[in-house]
Amino acid sequence: MTGDRPLGLVLLEMILLVLLGPLVTGAIQKLKARLQCRQGADVLQPYRDLAKLLRKGTVQADTASGFFRSIPVLVLAATVAAGALVPVLRAGPSAFPLGDALMLLGLLALARFLTAVGALDAGGAFGGMGASREMTIAPLVEPVLMMVVFSTALAAGTTELGALAAHRGTSWIFAWSAADFLGFAAMLVLLPAETGRIPVDNPDTHLELTMLHEGMLLEHSGPGLGCMLLASHTRQIVTLGLVAALFFPVGPADGIGAADLLLGAGAFAAKILVLATYLALVESSYAKLRLFRVPQYLGIGFVCALTALALRIL
Amino acid sequence: MLLTGTLLMAACYGAGALSSLLARWSGRLALGVGHLAVLAGATAGLGVSLGILLGTPGRALTRPLPALFPFARLSLSVDGLSAYFLLVISLVAVAAAIYGPAYLRAHSPDAGRARQAAQVFGLNVFLGCMTFVCCAGDALTFLLCWEGMTLASYVLVVSDDRDGENARAGLLYMVMTHGGTALLLVAFLALTERAGAFDFAALRAAAGGLDGTTRTTLFFLALGGFATKAGVVPLHVWLPRAHPAAPSHVSALMSGVMLKVAIYGILRFAFDLLAPVAAPLPSSWGWTVLVVGTASAVLGVLYALQQHDLKRLLAYHSVENVGIILIGVGLAMILWRREAAGGAVATVALTAALLHTVNHAAFKGLLFLAAGSVLCRTHVRNMEELGGLARRMPWTAGLFLLGAIAISGLPPLNGFVSEWLTFQALLGGASRFHGPAGLGIVFSAAMLALTGGLAAACFVKAFGVTFLGRARTPHAEHATEAPPSMIAGMVWLGALCVALGVAPGYAMRLLDAPTAGLLHGPAASAVVTARGPLVLSTALTPGATDATAISTTMLAALLIALTAMAWVLRRGSRRAPSRTAPTWTCGMSPTARFDYTATAFAKPLRLVFAALYRPRRAVIHETAGTPYVLRRIHYAGEVVDLAETQIYHRVQRGITALSRTIRLRSTGRIHGYIGFVLGALFVALLLFGVGQR
Repeated sequence: MTGDRPLGLVLLEMILLVLLGPLVTGAIQKLKARLQCRQGADVLQPYRDLAKLLRKGTVQADTASGFFRSIPVLVLAATVAAGALVPVLRAGPSAFPLGDALMLLGLLALARFLTAVGALDAGGAFGGMGASREMTIAPLVEPVLMMVVFSTALAAGTTELGALAAHRGTSWIFAWSAADFLGFAAMLVLLPAETGRIPVDNPDTHLELTMLHEGMLLEHSGPGLGCMLLASHTRQIVTLGLVAALFFPVGPADGIGAADLLLGAGAFAAKILVLATYLALVESSYAKLRLFRVPQYLGIGFVCALTALALRIL
Repeated sequence: MLLTGTLLMAACYGAGALSSLLARWSGRLALGVGHLAVLAGATAGLGVSLGILLGTPGRALTRPLPALFPFARLSLSVDGLSAYFLLVISLVAVAAAIYGPAYLRAHSPDAGRARQAAQVFGLNVFLGCMTFVCCAGDALTFLLCWEGMTLASYVLVVSDDRDGENARAGLLYMVMTHGGTALLLVAFLALTERAGAFDFAALRAAAGGLDGTTRTTLFFLALGGFATKAGVVPLHVWLPRAHPAAPSHVSALMSGVMLKVAIYGILRFAFDLLAPVAAPLPSSWGWTVLVVGTASAVLGVLYALQQHDLKRLLAYHSVENVGIILIGVGLAMILWRREAAGGAVATVALTAALLHTVNHAAFKGLLFLAAGSVLCRTHVRNMEELGGLARRMPWTAGLFLLGAIAISGLPPLNGFVSEWLTFQALLGGASRFHGPAGLGIVFSAAMLALTGGLAAACFVKAFGVTFLGRARTPHAEHATEAPPSMIAGMVWLGALCVALGVAPGYAMRLLDAPTAGLLHGPAASAVVTARGPLVLSTALTPGATDATAISTTMLAALLIALTAMAWVLRRGSRRAPSRTAPTWTCGMSPTARFDYTATAFAKPLRLVFAALYRPRRAVIHETAGTPYVLRRIHYAGEVVDLAETQIYHRVQRGITALSRTIRLRSTGRIHGYIGFVLGALFVALLLFGVGQR
């Protein structure tokens, strides 16, 4: 049982997620552009932005405290560490346990906490506004996300993502029970909120009326902003990876050969692509909700998740 | 050896209390000696508790005390559970002893000797009574120390400032907590009457012969008494008033430790004194505790979010954390002796509760001490008047941030570990119960997740508004870093938070004695650290011992490595310049008015949870002649505690109305009163006469 995923593989998967994170953002932007009948930027554009930012100098607010410089570093580290907990190429528990789904959500929450603290540091109203809104939405998303995790965990008897994915096996949607469908529906509702996209947030604008996450990044610049952007790309792919691990089959747990790993990689790419397409479709076909409509929107997810749990337990 | 330690502990606290007499000559000397005595007593307490917790399993220390009363034998008894709570008390007491003298001198430099003497006396008596509540071996010692603890903490609450609010807070505290003590007294006396003796062994034996209804009634009486002290919703109203009123290191002790003594009482009653011999606890007990725990957790954090007084916010968080502890306790009560063979979820639940007890003591102590540093340097508790302190008090700010991350239940610090264990226990419990019971447990887990998220939001607010941005008032502008001894006290608790977060497996050995002793089952370390001290593992289904495993140690190592790598990335290229500039405020010159305020930060959540908050706001426009010329706008907004308005104010109105009716009847004419007495006598004779026949 133990040791299906050696430490080397876990670290490899983590690096893979960090490297592919910007590509997913690029792909979603490209898809959105095509859906809106635009040419759009190249899918590799996020990489170019990152490279540019990392080469630039920084401008720091004169009111910012000593914490401000280390915020991007810590946010990036916490997000990337969350990436180490997602099974990518192969299912099964890792050889040396790092953390489970709750730890993953905890690390993402840590990154969010530090981002919000950084936003208040410069002393501008935009940062505070972004932080306040982000910390309003987050406590509402988190319990529902946990409930979805619980509904799957109760069936598998563990909250470890690798083991959950192994329990899902290679069976596809045909083996899903009603609880799985409802849990997945809840997840689809939550996904735009957790990745900071329409209808909850708008990643493309810096207008103060609409922004949540972008508002918190306003005072960062240069390499610091680069770290924050890389962290949000990673956060997005980690969230998608979590959904994939909870509901889709990951590569087979047995077999160590290169062919199996390649199969796993292909499967992962396909799953992420499907979810990315979903996000692009939602972003292109809906308007952003008013902030005080968001709790009602999340309420749909809550009802789905609660019903999924009820079906699992009753 | 251990006995000597216990006596030494008593001697230290006693000597500390007497050292208040030194204030006759020098208040400063009294403060120094008094706190030194606390430090010595706490060290002795640490020694005794570690000796019992790490010694041979099942070891307990019992010792009869000198016979003070002809009707009762007093005794001390320190078993695993007592030793564990003694450990928690002593850990925070060490920090308070280091922090206290400098704080009291800096906070109120013009305090008279009498006040200093009272504070030294109160602190020593408070700590001494608290430790001996946990070490009591009989009902009388327990109740005497319990009352001593209450009275001493009352003295400390009203000692800080000579304003009316402290006195009112103290009075409310006194009334509420004595109501609770009355319930405890009834529960204890009912037991002692059956047992014919006061010591716990006799009470245990007497409880063995009780029928179910009496047992449950006694449990709920005791639960009511302890819940008042623990600040469980809706009995919490005294807590957010009394805790902030005390000096900050005493607030740390009250919030971090005194509430835990009530938890000790609940555990002692439920699993030890009143527990049936071989049957599970009645299911109503565990469910009640679980439900009030969940309600306390959610409501505590929701009200904390809307507080702008830094210490009051922390006090509401104590309500929340006691709720989290009670979730674990309640679950352990539900599951104990009800699981299939091989299941150990009850142990996991109790482990989670006990671990959260020490964790909360560490981070809440740290946060109160950090808030105290802010208070003694700025003399302001309202966050809206602070700001920008991180540049002026970097140590305090860093330690507050550490405590904030820990209390929000974020990895890799200690709050996460105990919340993770609570989640695992809840999931394990849910997978054992089918039907509504299981759904209730999972719902409690979802509420716990909500609590964690809201706590994070609350502490972004508390830290951000207090320490970041610009100074909003001259109070904050002229702040300086706290003296080194205060920082040392905070560093001690901060180190505890990190150690318990990064290497929780090593702390599990300390939990062996209380868990095995209470549940008569497997010990904590055998269940949770089955795969070595670096890995925490639990099983949701019986049989599989290591279904879910995490290692915060490994994760912390990974985080450090990643931080180092990210730092290289962050440094960027050397050639690019780095400069500072004013924050962009849309072209206006930035002032402190641009900083987001605490009220504004919490506003979206106030609107989302408006049904619970029932926020009141009044906006008054002051115009000059015509409505088009605005001279001034007054804004007043307030969130009131629902328990206060819905329960306490109604009770208060009822009492007032009743006393008004009575006043109408008291006319002052003597024959009217004689008539009432005769009438009452007649009714009494009628009632009891019927009863006799």
